[in-house]
Amino acid sequence: MSAKRVILTLVAMCLMAGTATAATLKIGSLSPLTGSYAADGNDIANGARAAIAAIEKEGGIPGFDKIELFAEDDACDPRQAVAAANKLVNEKVVGVVGAYCSSATIPASETLAEADIPMLTPASTSEKVTERGLPYMFRVCGRDDDQSIAAMKFIKDMLAAKTIYIVDDKTTYSQGLADNVEKLANKEGLKVIAHDHVNQGDKDFSAVLTKIKDAKPDVLYMSLQNSASGALMLIQAKRAGVTAAIIGQDAVYHPQLMEIAKDAAEGMYLTFGYIDEETPSYKKFLAAYEKFGKPGAYSAYSYDAAYSLLSAIKAAKSTDPAKIKAELIKGEMQGASKKIKFQANGESGSNYIIRVVKDGKFANFWDPQTGKKY
Amino acid sequence: MDYFFQQLINGLTLGGVYALVALGYTMVYGIIQLINFAHGEIFAAGGYLGVILLSYMASQGLMDSHPWFGLAFALILAMGYCAMLAMAVEKVAYKPLRQSSRLSVLLSALGMSIFLQNGLMLTQGVYDKAYPTEFTHGGFEWLGVRVSFMQIGILLVTTLLLVLLNTLVFRTRIGKAMRATAQDKVMSALVGIHSDKVISTTFAIGAALAAAAGIMVGLYYGSVRYDMGFVPGIKAFAAAVLGGIGNITGAMIGGLIIGMVEILAAAYIPAGGEYKDVFAFVILIGVLYFMPTGIMGENVDDTRV
Repeated sequence: MSAKRVILTLVAMCLMAGTATAATLKIGSLSPLTGSYAADGNDIANGARAAIAAIEKEGGIPGFDKIELFAEDDACDPRQAVAAANKLVNEKVVGVVGAYCSSATIPASETLAEADIPMLTPASTSEKVTERGLPYMFRVCGRDDDQSIAAMKFIKDMLAAKTIYIVDDKTTYSQGLADNVEKLANKEGLKVIAHDHVNQGDKDFSAVLTKIKDAKPDVLYMSLQNSASGALMLIQAKRAGVTAAIIGQDAVYHPQLMEIAKDAAEGMYLTFGYIDEETPSYKKFLAAYEKFGKPGAYSAYSYDAAYSLLSAIKAAKSTDPAKIKAELIKGEMQGASKKIKFQANGESGSNYIIRVVKDGKFANFWDPQTGKKY
Repeated sequence: MDYFFQQLINGLTLGGVYALVALGYTMVYGIIQLINFAHGEIFAAGGYLGVILLSYMASQGLMDSHPWFGLAFALILAMGYCAMLAMAVEKVAYKPLRQSSRLSVLLSALGMSIFLQNGLMLTQGVYDKAYPTEFTHGGFEWLGVRVSFMQIGILLVTTLLLVLLNTLVFRTRIGKAMRATAQDKVMSALVGIHSDKVISTTFAIGAALAAAAGIMVGLYYGSVRYDMGFVPGIKAFAAAVLGGIGNITGAMIGGLIIGMVEILAAAYIPAGGEYKDVFAFVILIGVLYFMPTGIMGENVDDTRV
């Protein structure tokens, strides 16, 4: 390459870089847009898009013409997550919403931490996400350990169960929760009849469900990381004649659970963060999300994550990570998913309650804090 | 005892699904020695077409008044569509490579599989699609064993299609042409058999069977998904090999064995649920080791299959 061409290329690159950063605020999202978790992953990207639309509707952020989202696909794979995080670093995003799988969030957050880019996860519930002491790691959803405590309280206090059968699908999330529940059950003196595993992506659960029907447990703890798998298990459980109370967790919270399982989903319990659908902020979220369809499990969390990030930038009048962090910790916000108050370690607190599927909808059912029904 | 029989029914149903998909694999292999990896995606396409047609008919109220007519209509339409799809796939991805090495065709088949799966994802979305299953939920209980109508349906359809296929291959002109082409493509062409047409027809018939399987599976499990073809595709391929690839009855028996082994392993072996695929493939390897041509395969030399 001749010296002249090198100079020309450099000039061209400077010009391009100059125009691109002029007045666009760039934020990124990391989630599995393809593969088994694509449904939840797209919910996360759409939640961030909805938050951008809501902020822009409120007048945007002073100093920026528009806000742009760079939605990257991590496929729930650690290596791809790091590659996607590097891509976002190169794009010079000022903050990232994501990721979905804890096993992708953790390595991606290390990459983002090197560039001092704040990361707010709407969905990764593993304890390790915040326990590594990264300065710019925040979590909008709850934690696994809190979730299993809520489930066990319900099983013991409300259902007064004596025996429990646990099934998980061997993902970090589902097995982590199932192991926690098994430990708590042993501590509380419940009889764990068995802890079986199925494979992620299985369609046929008839063998294990026939086993469960034969064992007649009081409770089936169904730990599956996918609403579609959950729906399949519910249909087949009904067909097999399983009469145990079925308890799941937040990963099966999705409208498609009822769309697929229909009446087989009726009466299923799940642990999920408390949502007050009457708050103005939830209604604002629903209006902004409308064009993407019905919100899924993590839509509201992702919306809140992006909304908090953008609000913090607006309040800080800067994209400096330290200032964003200071604003995030200072403020308390009524989000769509919950009241968000970030602590210095990045946690925003869990608010797990028991919800139930009733008339084809998720309804608040029982509060583990007060032990009362809604 | 009812536990055992219940698991037996579960295994038979799952095996029936594998068998239906395996029929298409085995036919195509029998004719042109190609492992058609895109077959699983044709199965998924059939499932999707079923959900689109049945949902439309359900929204028009037709599924309440004439459910079985609606189902038959959806089956026939999906089978026809997938037959055409498979013929197009054959024309684009396999025919130009007919004189090339087997490896090229195999890679082309893999590529086609990925292409079709992504096509489904992009056109139909990443979410599962729910079947209108209200009319298939019924069943009966006999001596503590529950059997649903869909389970009987899957086994009946599999058996019926197997009988039809056997009649087609051994009692009709096109069947004779297929067998001749399988034996020796060049020689059969010399005596006036249009081998391209025969190959095309074979693809079409295999795909029609896969489409039927897709709809049965969608109805049985209640939903379809863009990547649903992959695992049954691999299992059905294993079933075809186990039964003796190229042999139609063998594919059926292979499918039933793999389904049965999976369910019984999950039912009786500790931690069997997570390793059920391992057991199925260990059986496959064992059979191939002691019976290299599979259960029903004949021992033939390279020049004819």
